[in-house]
Amino acid sequence: MADRSWWRLQALILTSLLLLLLTIATPAWLRLDGMPPSWPVLWLLPWAVVEGPIAGALAAVLVGLGFDSFYGQGISSIPVLVLLALWWGQFRDARRPLERSTTLGLQALLGSLLLSASFALQLHWRGGSVALAWQVSLAQALLTALLAPVVCSVQVLLWRRLTPDDGR
Amino acid sequence: MAMGRRLSRLLDRSLLLSTGPWLVLLLFFLVVRVSKGAPLADLYAQLSRPFWPGSAQSEWLKESQQLEDQQRIATLEGRLARLEQDQQLRNQAGDWITAPVISRRIEGWWQQLELGAGRVQGIKTGAVVTGPGGVLGRISSVTPSTSRVQLLTDPSSRVGVELQGGRGHGLLFGEGSSRPLVKFLNNDVTVQPGDVVVTSRASSVFPANLIIGVVQSVNTQAGPAPQGLVQLSAPADQIDWVRVR
Repeated sequence: MADRSWWRLQALILTSLLLLLLTIATPAWLRLDGMPPSWPVLWLLPWAVVEGPIAGALAAVLVGLGFDSFYGQGISSIPVLVLLALWWGQFRDARRPLERSTTLGLQALLGSLLLSASFALQLHWRGGSVALAWQVSLAQALLTALLAPVVCSVQVLLWRRLTPDDGR
Repeated sequence: MAMGRRLSRLLDRSLLLSTGPWLVLLLFFLVVRVSKGAPLADLYAQLSRPFWPGSAQSEWLKESQQLEDQQRIATLEGRLARLEQDQQLRNQAGDWITAPVISRRIEGWWQQLELGAGRVQGIKTGAVVTGPGGVLGRISSVTPSTSRVQLLTDPSSRVGVELQGGRGHGLLFGEGSSRPLVKFLNNDVTVQPGDVVVTSRASSVFPANLIIGVVQSVNTQAGPAPQGLVQLSAPADQIDWVRVR
């Protein structure tokens, strides 16, 4: 049990670092119309699905802080990430676990769209605007949804294997 | 003998007495002609002095001259103040620092560059960043070894600009796309595609007259004043090295 917790902590740190690294420098071949996938969504979805709403919300705050430290400028991703984590966390105790590729893809698509909408709203409140907001949001959501079945499925398996009290 | 008689007749006293005044007059007019009438003009001025116009008009002329001088002084003082301010900005900023671009996030929501030089190299928050061609943006945050650039295309970027030659003043709004929008302040500005956009002389953030880009298209129907899309002369997606000051 202790050994599994130790591995989980290590995996958590490593994947978080990878997330931050990818946030700073997404390779050009992983972009669609210049937009990278929504990495916080791709990381948070499997974590919240496996760990539940509370652990998900805590992770969302941490990931949001990391994400905002690179982007930010008065616009925060934390509120939407916390809401998404609380929502996705509900699936932990669901009768049918959220693990199918299409479902993960759909959840990632919705998560990415919500995150983009929150950015657009916050920019609007600050008096700014993005000329191609729809195009930007759709490109990012599509790319995130395409990557989610691969990226999230692997992470769901990883977190399930490393969760100490996993009974599945 | 005959020659001597003719000479004595020429030097005859009566002849000299009768022709002398004419010679004097001739000499006088010659002097007047050569001096272009100066003695006569001076003489006229001295004689007519009692009849000159009153001093009122002269005072008016002096006053208008003083006003003109004061205006010129005010204009020159304004120019000098602007030059001193510009010089102060330059002195505060110091020399240009060259820095590599180590990461770029020029997607929709944010338009940022990450530079591989920071506080240790002398970069300060608010410093101007230029690339080959023109202005890229400003330093928004600094760490000891890196600095972040808020590009002109960032949705929260606002920069005072003018058309080259000081023809029209406006604000450049970043819109998350590669072409920021310039909104002019005056309705009577004559702007057309191809006009060069530079940083405004009124800007307290950017040094004046740094090239930003070229007006690509103009919307004269926009209210209350014309708007235009600007093609930046320093493309952020292709620049690997920048200069910071």
